[in-house]
Amino acid sequence: MNTVNVSHLAKRFGDVQAVADVSFAVEPGEIFGMLGPNGAGKTTTIRMMMDIFRPDAGEIAVFGGQLDLAKKRRIGYLPEERGLYKDQKLEPTLIYLATLKGMDEKIARQRLSGWLERFDLTEYRQKKVQELSKGMQQKAQIIATLLHDPDLIVIDEPFSGLDPINARLVKKIFEEQRDAGKAIIMSTHQMYQVEALCNRIVLIDNGRSVLYGLVNEIKRNFAGNAITLEGEGDFDAIPGVLEQRKHNGAWHMALELGADPQAIFRHLGRQNGTRIERFELAEPSLDDIFVNVVSGKVQT
Amino acid sequence: MNNFWLIAKHEYKRIVFRRAFLLITLAVPLGFAALIGLIAFIKESEKSEPLPIGYVDYTGLIEHSRYPVSDEGMTPIIEFGDETAALDALHREEIQALFILPDTYPAAPQTELYYLENPPGGSAWRDFNFFISLNLLTPYPEAVRHRLIEGGIITVHDVVSGREFSENGTINIVFPFIASFIFFASTMMASGYMIEIVADEKENRMLEMMLTAVSPGQLIGGKAIGLLAATLTQLTAHILILAVGLFIATPYIPTLQQLIIPWDYIGVMALFFLPAYALITAIMIAVSGVFPDSEQAQQIAGILNLLFILPLFSVVLIFENSGSPLVIFLSLFPTTAFLTISLRWGVGTVPLWQIGSSWLILITKTGLMLWMAVKLFRVGMLRYGQRLTLKGALTALRN
Repeated sequence: MNTVNVSHLAKRFGDVQAVADVSFAVEPGEIFGMLGPNGAGKTTTIRMMMDIFRPDAGEIAVFGGQLDLAKKRRIGYLPEERGLYKDQKLEPTLIYLATLKGMDEKIARQRLSGWLERFDLTEYRQKKVQELSKGMQQKAQIIATLLHDPDLIVIDEPFSGLDPINARLVKKIFEEQRDAGKAIIMSTHQMYQVEALCNRIVLIDNGRSVLYGLVNEIKRNFAGNAITLEGEGDFDAIPGVLEQRKHNGAWHMALELGADPQAIFRHLGRQNGTRIERFELAEPSLDDIFVNVVSGKVQT
Repeated sequence: MNNFWLIAKHEYKRIVFRRAFLLITLAVPLGFAALIGLIAFIKESEKSEPLPIGYVDYTGLIEHSRYPVSDEGMTPIIEFGDETAALDALHREEIQALFILPDTYPAAPQTELYYLENPPGGSAWRDFNFFISLNLLTPYPEAVRHRLIEGGIITVHDVVSGREFSENGTINIVFPFIASFIFFASTMMASGYMIEIVADEKENRMLEMMLTAVSPGQLIGGKAIGLLAATLTQLTAHILILAVGLFIATPYIPTLQQLIIPWDYIGVMALFFLPAYALITAIMIAVSGVFPDSEQAQQIAGILNLLFILPLFSVVLIFENSGSPLVIFLSLFPTTAFLTISLRWGVGTVPLWQIGSSWLILITKTGLMLWMAVKLFRVGMLRYGQRLTLKGALTALRN
């Protein structure tokens, strides 16, 4: 049984159609990426899943049905707009939030010690939240999301404000949770994290799900839309190239829809002063796919 | 524990252990009580045997033995045979003042008074007047004499309620006024706290996370109950301190000895307090839901609070004509009912039908306001930095 099933969701706020038609499913034991440009409808979709808003149309099933109190207690949610009670101490705040999720206070206290140690916050447990740095507050918020051992974890921008070491720690924790059979929905703009962590993704644009499925499959489907090039010469303004960037000495070029990599190769070959050392069809990055799809250069 | 009560308990602790709350709850009334105690102590320690009053009687009507010298607190009075000896005693400060009663007294009411720097203090003069009255009224029967000396006691009986108003019981008229202010101050403070509580949730960005654990109604209801518990804690502390203060001060302030606890008044106020409190709370929740930050919400709340304190501007009217149409209107209007009825109680009776109608109107209005408040809160709570427009508010109420 899928942890989450979302089918043809729609939601309007006044004149604004925030979500038009979004569908996806999330399985237990996976990390699911929810992507989309700003204003695409990701947050509204998540809020409908969390029963904060009621959809105008469509169906949502979480843990097999409508959300009730018992099911809500199995969810850990960290929204994009987030915080903690700034004038209160860290430990009592986190325990309070865990008890609201139905956790026994004693158990919460025991588990919290482990989490604080893992996130290196033990010595700050009796400090007020406002005395912690932004990064520490972020870590505390992640603890609040995980402390009650939820079966579904929904996090918007989990790596925001974290240094590379802590970002790596959070990544590791997500992998552990996934391996423990939890379902994780991660909304982020950091595509490399999505590529590293997510099994499947949905890309939402203008309130509609425009891409959905396994990350590898999506990348394979878009192969041929990018090339990797090493060499010398003038590689600006090549016909058929949508976007290009240099990385580690190699040019990575995203191609327009319908552009023929062979034609580009022949064009380069005809240019004086151009020396090609490597030319290969690249599997596009999720970043490229995102840009292509959202900019409308690629039809899905 | 149910989430509602978890939130209430958490909010209660959050408020009650704040320094500002503890200061207002304990330090301010204790400070007043200490001040009253100090005044009483100083008064007690300054009590000393007053200097006697001297007199020379040329009328032959005054009999010195009639003066009740054994009564505690009465100023001693000394009779002198002649003015010279009396004036000498005055200069030697053996007496504080000297009255000369000429032989034309009391037909010609003037007497002579001699003193050194200050005229005799209030109780000394009163005691001497009493002494003279005792002597001049000797020909009259004792009952008449007593009535003329003690003065009349006017008691007003209200035929409707059976209440009595007596000049000896002035404190019983003042008490409801004082109680009104105490109740009201607590409620107004609670309204400010409520705005802060909701604004805190918004500004701390906790709402969205909380809503996966509790419903908006549970969240805001739990917080309101926590605040109510804190308000009642504060009220209880103030009442206890007031009771202790009264207990200490009563022996020194005779007026307080006339105080009769108006249990019927307290019962009616208890009946009105909770709905009035809930109404203010609901209005503040609605305001906080509509406005994006606490500063704007506090400004609007300040204006709306006027709806509740209107009776204070009508105190003179309530005092002069507590049955006037405007006062009756204020007694029935939900936001002014609580305070108006409380103020009216001190100076008159409030007909049962007015109390009953007022309470029913208040309950209905409060229920409606609570319903609106939760709806507006639910829609406005996630509008960070944005105000809920009138159109948005009406849509929220319709849905």
